[in-house]
Amino acid sequence: MGYVAVKGGTKAIEESIKRLKYERVKKGTAIELPKIEAGMRGLIDQVMSESSLYDRSLAALAIKQAEGNPEEAVFLLRAYRSTLPRKHVSRVISSEHMKVERRISASFKDVPGGQILGATTDYTHRLLDSELENESDISIQDWLRAFQEENQSTDYQNDSADLNSLPKVLDYLRSEGLLASCENDDLQPGDVTRKSLEFPSMRSERLQILTRGQTGAVTSLAYAVIRGYGALHPTVGELRVGKLPVHLDHPLLDEGQEEDSYYIGDFTATEAEMLIPLTVEKEQGKKEIEFEVGYGMCMGQNETKAIAMGILDNCLEKPNKEFPSHNEEFVLYHIDSVESTGFISHLKMPHYVTFQSKLDSIRKSKDKTTEQEVGLHE
Amino acid sequence: MRRKERTEILIQGSEDIAKAFAKEIAMKYKVTVIQKPESALVLLKTRETAKKSLFYLGEMLVTECTVKIHDSIGIGIVKGHREDLAHSLAIIDAAYQADLGETKLWSPILENEKKNIQKNLQELNRSILRTKVHFETMDVQ
Repeated sequence: MGYVAVKGGTKAIEESIKRLKYERVKKGTAIELPKIEAGMRGLIDQVMSESSLYDRSLAALAIKQAEGNPEEAVFLLRAYRSTLPRKHVSRVISSEHMKVERRISASFKDVPGGQILGATTDYTHRLLDSELENESDISIQDWLRAFQEENQSTDYQNDSADLNSLPKVLDYLRSEGLLASCENDDLQPGDVTRKSLEFPSMRSERLQILTRGQTGAVTSLAYAVIRGYGALHPTVGELRVGKLPVHLDHPLLDEGQEEDSYYIGDFTATEAEMLIPLTVEKEQGKKEIEFEVGYGMCMGQNETKAIAMGILDNCLEKPNKEFPSHNEEFVLYHIDSVESTGFISHLKMPHYVTFQSKLDSIRKSKDKTTEQEVGLHE
Repeated sequence: MRRKERTEILIQGSEDIAKAFAKEIAMKYKVTVIQKPESALVLLKTRETAKKSLFYLGEMLVTECTVKIHDSIGIGIVKGHREDLAHSLAIIDAAYQADLGETKLWSPILENEKKNIQKNLQELNRSILRTKVHFETMDVQ
């Protein structure tokens, strides 16, 4: 059987794209971008984090175009990002300067600055709220007014904690000598968007890939670690969510003074510092427990992902052939949303030639088998 | 007032202030637009706290504009799609670079806006602190 090159399908593709739009709008109502931005905070945060691009409006647009499908929205944003010039690199952003909106520790009850729950679903009952079916803009505005009045009331215990400079749990542990102290490492980071990954990877490359990884993939691999497909047992030392300010040096000056930098705005981020106990053998065979830290940070409020990233960060710092979760090639090559969904979904694309070639091989081997069987009978 | 503090106030505060300052300068001086407001990316260099090393967290979309007043270049950069604000910030930056007399009169307005920003921030923090846990020790029988 010979192969024949074919073409066609242009009209069908055009109609398919129309059909796609029809599926998005067939109910006859448009979902406005401000409503997506206002009401889908979790999805926007996930899409921005996996796209590695912080812009809430663009994320809302991508979500609308993708009909709420995160993998498609991430693909759209990554593609859009590639059309823009990258003109600046920020001054170093530090979570010490986070304007904290939520901060908890699962390790220390009396963490300096206190346990601040902020906005979280952790303590909700997960029962469907049927009242939301009738929620309107007016009912929301009424609720907001009442909420603001309640906040302004003085019948609540005042607290003097400064949320703009909350002490860090790790600093506290380091000052107590419970965690090894370390100096700032100013080695310039690698950038996986500009240079292909090579192994062994740099720590900065690992963190960059983990932070833009697909939420589900990062979470699943970290879950596997804890279930036994890994060699560590972590606790959340500190989890914080809040806004981080971004400053730039003057583009025409090499190293500007901080006071002459440009403030350009802030962004919401989640940071997880995971404490991982490690038994260390000291002098004369004496064993002591020390702590290591796994680090997770991602754009938006993505707490599960940040915690999972912290777990995988520590795994990849300690290669271990026994577990795939400690193998950087296994983890880093398989958690990117665009790469993994792109490859899997490409299987839908026409493979007529390769598949026909396989069919030919099967037919030929079957023919040979039949001929041999006939020969035996003769 | 140095640029860091100035841009924090102009971006976090009311956009009307930047608009009014820029309008005042544009009415009195020739403002040449070198680069009209357009979208760009800023790579976010971040320090992690486990080993205190640096890595790139991702990118932020910004709007950037460059103008010139006399021989002084002014740059306006702000998060998101905000063409008017980027343009106003560039004019204000150029005005400070050129040391125009008008900028001396802006300090009290900026100081006042800074107080408003701090007041709003304190209110937000007070609201967030309502979610702070106050543990009570349970009686042991």
